Amino acid sequence: MKKYLLTISAVLLALWAWVGCTDFPVDEDGLLITTRGECYVSNFELLGSDFQTVRTKAAVIDTTAQTINVEVFYGTDLKNLWPQFSLVTDAKLDPKITGRVDFSDLANPKKWTVISGNRKVQKPYTVFVTVQAKP
Amino acid sequence: MKLKYLYFIFLMSVVLLLASCQDEEYSIPSAGTDLQNDCIKRSLGPNVVGLNIEFAYAMALPKDKGKLVSAQVDATIAGANGTYLENRSFYTNSSGVDVGVTVGNPSVTNGTKTEVTFAKDTCASTLRYFYTIPEEARGKSVSFKFSAKDSNGKTVSYDMGPYTVAKMDMKLDMVLSDNNNMYFSIADMAVMNAATAAANPSKVDLVYLYRSYTTVTFLHALVSPANAEYLPDVTLPSGASNSTLFWKVYGLRDQQLARLQYGIYVDDLDFTEQNFTGAPNYGINMKAESGAWVETADGTYRAYVFVNKVDNTKKEMTISVKRYKIK
Repeated sequence: MKKYLLTISAVLLALWAWVGCTDFPVDEDGLLITTRGECYVSNFELLGSDFQTVRTKAAVIDTTAQTINVEVFYGTDLKNLWPQFSLVTDAKLDPKITGRVDFSDLANPKKWTVISGNRKVQKPYTVFVTVQAKP
Repeated sequence: MKLKYLYFIFLMSVVLLLASCQDEEYSIPSAGTDLQNDCIKRSLGPNVVGLNIEFAYAMALPKDKGKLVSAQVDATIAGANGTYLENRSFYTNSSGVDVGVTVGNPSVTNGTKTEVTFAKDTCASTLRYFYTIPEEARGKSVSFKFSAKDSNGKTVSYDMGPYTVAKMDMKLDMVLSDNNNMYFSIADMAVMNAATAAANPSKVDLVYLYRSYTTVTFLHALVSPANAEYLPDVTLPSGASNSTLFWKVYGLRDQQLARLQYGIYVDDLDFTEQNFTGAPNYGINMKAESGAWVETADGTYRAYVFVNKVDNTKKEMTISVKRYKIK
């Protein structure tokens, strides 16, 4: 019996050591750091306080110039908008969006940085909001 | 070591024994031999003053033991006008329609008590009770004692509650129209025309307007008098300057306001939990079945305004409102 127990324990320990040694690096947010170097915004949405879109048409994302141009409806409350970024696989956004964002200072557009999956490429994107002209 | 094996085998045997125990087979419960009763609450959602709380009260005794004589409900707070106990017992026909069969005289309400005396020789019946919530019950709890009496003099009873009555007010289907009844007062829960608004400019919390432009979508709007930007070609009554905070909401189709199939209810707690920090004071392009959380300029009232329907041709908006006094 003792022999069996010893054998089982040894096998389990070996397994544990093998699993423990495999490297799964995570960043400060607990997100997996992968080998992907792609770094871009694939889609952009802007929601009002009622969680309905305020865009008049699809946002124009320029991944070379790193800009997002979005036109919103006349009457949109720019102080309480909820931006939503879709990013390439494994990428993340900085700063994080935790609530409503004030876009009312149109002269100073908001910026977010996209960080690639391998955390080695960082690209700042500027979001330019324009409001439909007053009738 | 051997003792350990024995313990292990013993434990496994107990586990096996327990696992092998069979469930008892289901059998139809036998009916009671005396008068018995049961009750369920049929209405859902917050108990708002003016609305009904509905119950279904069932009572029965074996056919050979006698018949039902009377059924009675005693509420801790007397119901408002319209409180009654059905004198019909319902069954559901093959088409799914509830059909009423008269079993007693119309109910008599005396103070907190509502009673039906059976006129038919019946030994089983389910009567519905509609309690119209009175103003006195606002913010209080109300309980009910249902009781039934049979021909042997035996009485049974069933307690329901307590149920808390909401503090909020509710008003349905107020029609706002562009350039006519376009002013809305939350304090009065009323729509005003220009003349009434001119006499009470401080009560104007929201202004309704309809504008159709080719370049932008404006359509139906509710705007604070303080916001001139979104009140094009509107001449406000002198002195109307309230800045009413206004959070647009979509998809909150309160059942009591919308009377649609959605089981969502706005209750007292929702008003107190709302945060109006940074809220705008207008909402344009309001659509049917959308709504808004609103706070009056002086912070006295908070309300949920639900848009029941909009009419582009008549330039009208029908709203229903739940309102809560904050201070």
